[in-house]
Amino acid sequence: MTDRKKALFGGVLGDNIVLSGLMVISPVIICGDTLKNAEALIYAFSAITFLSVLISSFVPKKLPYTAKVIIYALISALVYIPVKLAAREFYPESIERIGIYYPLLAVNSLIVFQTEAKFFRMKKGDMIVSLLSCIIGFDIVMLLTGFLRELFAYGTINSRIVDVNTLIGGLSQPFGGFIFLGLMCGVYRFIRGLVSRNSNNDVRSDADVSDK
Amino acid sequence: MFLINDLIALLAANLILSQALGTSTIFIAAGSRKNLIGTAGVITVFTTIGAAAAYLIDLLLQPSVADLRLLFYTIVIGALYVALLAAVYRFANRWFEELRRYIHVSAFNCAVMGTLFTINSRASMDGTMFNLGGYVSAGLEAGIGFIIAALILTAAYRKLNSSKVPASFRGFPAMLVYLGIISMAVYSLK
Amino acid sequence: MLKKARKERLVWLDIMITLLTLELMSYFYYGLRSVFLAGICVLTGFAAELVSVRLMKRKFTADDMTCTSDALILALMFPAVMDYHISVIAVLFAIIVAKNIFGGRINMIFSPAAAAYVFVLTSWERQLLQYTEPHVKTGLFETPANLVKSASYVFDHTGSFSHTDFEVLLGNFSGPAGAVSILLLAVAAVILMMRRSISAGAFLGTIFGTGLFAVITPIVSSRADSLKYSLVTNMVLFSAIYIVSDLRIAPRRDYYAFFYGLFIGVISYVLVLTGAKENAIVIVSVLFTPVALGFRHLEKQIDTAAQEHASEVTEAANANAAAAGEEAVSDD
Repeated sequence: MTDRKKALFGGVLGDNIVLSGLMVISPVIICGDTLKNAEALIYAFSAITFLSVLISSFVPKKLPYTAKVIIYALISALVYIPVKLAAREFYPESIERIGIYYPLLAVNSLIVFQTEAKFFRMKKGDMIVSLLSCIIGFDIVMLLTGFLRELFAYGTINSRIVDVNTLIGGLSQPFGGFIFLGLMCGVYRFIRGLVSRNSNNDVRSDADVSDK
Repeated sequence: MFLINDLIALLAANLILSQALGTSTIFIAAGSRKNLIGTAGVITVFTTIGAAAAYLIDLLLQPSVADLRLLFYTIVIGALYVALLAAVYRFANRWFEELRRYIHVSAFNCAVMGTLFTINSRASMDGTMFNLGGYVSAGLEAGIGFIIAALILTAAYRKLNSSKVPASFRGFPAMLVYLGIISMAVYSLK
Repeated sequence: MLKKARKERLVWLDIMITLLTLELMSYFYYGLRSVFLAGICVLTGFAAELVSVRLMKRKFTADDMTCTSDALILALMFPAVMDYHISVIAVLFAIIVAKNIFGGRINMIFSPAAAAYVFVLTSWERQLLQYTEPHVKTGLFETPANLVKSASYVFDHTGSFSHTDFEVLLGNFSGPAGAVSILLLAVAAVILMMRRSISAGAFLGTIFGTGLFAVITPIVSSRADSLKYSLVTNMVLFSAIYIVSDLRIAPRRDYYAFFYGLFIGVISYVLVLTGAKENAIVIVSVLFTPVALGFRHLEKQIDTAAQEHASEVTEAANANAAAAGEEAVSDD
């Protein structure tokens, strides 16, 4: 039961797609410098990913891997169109702010690769729960990143000025995003290591190349 | 002397260091010399040929249906993906099993798609770039930029995955911070 | 193992002595404020290192005191009237982000002071590159007034350097607190090279590279002046000693270190010449980190190959000796 719970809900914290799987990190690094950008990205990512994976789950499994990957990418490229039209209607400034990262969300590795590797091996119901938990995991990271970077880089929260003593301008830049995300991943792993029962901290990296 | 300034400009426009595109892929590329050559080489092929196809799409696509750009780019990359697999199977069958992995990883990738969109946005701002030569050279430049960034990461790969690095930061977190500091130095030269 | 640890402490001691003399000079020009700033940086660095080492489940030893030299180097790169908050954040960045995240002093990748300087440059450029004139003493918590651009900035942009040689030697011109006392820096360089506390190859390579290009493609009409002022401005001498020639970062073999320093010197000079980039050498030294790592990896491979070859030769010699012994016995 615990393993099943991990598989279903792990995407939120235990096996977060950004902090643990290092997927979809480009928008987090480049666009995650304000809360408004984070909200726009959350909307786009959640809508595109959920709909794309759901529709892709009806693609016949017997097709060759290459054909399936192309079809998944085409489906998400088609789903992107109405999502962008809706964004143009309700969040018009967000499209210009996020720029090329809007369409790039449609080819994120969660849709293109993780569908085959993880989601489509589950039952439909479990797949939806697991997918939602992965999306929520991304949303949490995006919100946290947008909030903290905006606070310390600009001294604002959702464009409202807050009294912050010293601002770190570099946090708003891409390199600030890299360093911030790296620190966040490290802290996340540290906390996860403290919380988890086994002492193994390994995630995706081929860690432990010993020096001589 | 101006070669140095050109190199700085190349670094400043680097996909990974300034736009964080293809960061996950570069972690794979930096793992070993074989991965580096395979991944970086295939990405360069995708960005160069993809850029040429993107030019034709941008030439024909009307502004009123600009939202279909992603769909057409996806079709082009999909076709290139299949063509490359077929070409490797036909002409380099001995290495098909090895090269196949790199082609799978490189096809629908932020680095490749991001290059096409970046070139498109640059061409819309700078009319002189809107020609086949401009697109192809920009695509090749992006591929070379990926190779340079992969080399930068490969130089530190062993140290970043060393047992001396605290377990929480070993591997990807340390790589992100490392790339961030290099990116910071490049940014400060602008 | 014990011999290597002891040497590291001696290196740190040598570096600290030279840094403290520079700090003394800074006190002479800028008063107690510069000493207070240095003190805050050193204490912050020490505290950050203590906490980091404990979190890494390691014992804090005397070798870990290198954090104080890194912090002091950074303090000497700042204006004497630098904001304390920024200094503290910079030192924390140097010790935690640029050093201890990668494993600390046993797995150095970046020069902590250089990385932190670039961080401050990208986040607080205005505060970093404005200075008080020498002999203008600012109170400990007073807001600095009448800030000026550094002499390096003026030289980079206009080609003029309106200070006598005597003023240059004694550091009587505006710039980073510790990077302007040229005579002291020259003496420190000689002493540290003689005591092997810095990489002589890297230092000489940097100076040679900068000097060579200053003569070939001079910034000013006079080649002699171009050579002279290129070496005394833009923190070239200071960085050549404490950043480029850092034994923890620079290649170990002198000829590799020479070329490492040479390229850093050349590229930073070109950036100053073509883009008037102030203190470019610090930025270039961070960018050259992969090159330094590449050289070190090459050196390790050479050492491994040499060891294997030596052990093969020894084994072959032993085998021959054994065979000769057996022959002698059978002859008998």
